[in-house]
Amino acid sequence: MSGWIASLEYATGGLWPYLVVVIFGFLPTEVWRVIGVFAGKGLNENSEIFHWVRFVATGLVTAVVAKLLLSPQGALAMIPLWGRLGAIAIGVGVMLATKRSIALGLIAGELALLGAGFLAAA
Amino acid sequence: MLSMSSAAPSDSANDLSPFVYALNGAKDAFGLPAVTICFSLVGVGGLARDIGYPMLAGMLSSALMWAGPAQVLLFGSIATGTALPVAAIAVLFSSLRFLPMTIAILPLINDPRRPVWHLLLAAHLVAITNWVEGMRRLPDMPKTIRFPYFCGFGIVVLLCGTVATGVGYFLVGALPAIFAAALLFTTPMFFSVNLAGSARRWIDALPIVLAAVFTPLATFLVGTDYDLVAAGLIGGTLAYGVDRLLRRRAAL
Repeated sequence: MSGWIASLEYATGGLWPYLVVVIFGFLPTEVWRVIGVFAGKGLNENSEIFHWVRFVATGLVTAVVAKLLLSPQGALAMIPLWGRLGAIAIGVGVMLATKRSIALGLIAGELALLGAGFLAAA
Repeated sequence: MLSMSSAAPSDSANDLSPFVYALNGAKDAFGLPAVTICFSLVGVGGLARDIGYPMLAGMLSSALMWAGPAQVLLFGSIATGTALPVAAIAVLFSSLRFLPMTIAILPLINDPRRPVWHLLLAAHLVAITNWVEGMRRLPDMPKTIRFPYFCGFGIVVLLCGTVATGVGYFLVGALPAIFAAALLFTTPMFFSVNLAGSARRWIDALPIVLAAVFTPLATFLVGTDYDLVAAGLIGGTLAYGVDRLLRRRAAL
């Protein structure tokens, strides 16, 4: 398999990165959206399975976000865990205290994260 | 923000061209949703540059994959020399969420007269930002205008993200690390305030709290390949079980 991929890489030259994005990135992502369209078309909005799917969708999105926070990649890893979680708490707190302003919550959380970063670096 | 909530009732909504509603959606997308997606995809441009890919390949990944975490996974795997088929399987698992997300948002958009390609277009736009905003905004609108609104909104967010990926290609290396960290923090921060702000009943918040608590547990128990799927499935299913019990009790 890897020899076959290497020769394809050689044969396509400068087009190879685009092929990688389409074959190894786009296809394994888009397949779920397409299946979702055809699986969801016949589904009743009030059925039990639909209720379940909605909860699981929220759970899966949350898990992605939690992982971004708990095992961060790249530059975010330099902010200690207390800084990342504290900034989330401050952002949500400000959002709730300001008649649910998402913008103010987001800005407060970002500022708190920057503050934690400077504190941790000092 | 919810400019459509006071729109005409659904029967007279047909009088206006769908284009008007698409423009409304596009207008609402400029602002926090567009800013959020720009901040979160800037880093992907930097990753594409790190592995020596051209800028347009990075932008193509945003327009086609339209899944920040999966793009990070793909380019990060290439950076560490992972075999491409193995990287593709990791992308496949990390993108599983699009199946229930698409199924959940589809009934809001679908009506019997819509051709399949409309649904496929709407499904392609599904990603964390568009999905969260769609689930929040669409229920308050007449059904006939939801599809053009969602497409106008979603396409603007997608195009902004694609452009931001190209900008990030040149920007990220030049940025002090602490600001790069703040950029990476935008997605989790936006998602947290948005979902906490739109949870109307405590049962809406339950799958969020459960999945968030289960994620580190799952990472510890089943490892980093399957932890996302495990935490999301278990947290979501438990919340569904509680919701079902409550609905049963209310019906008695």
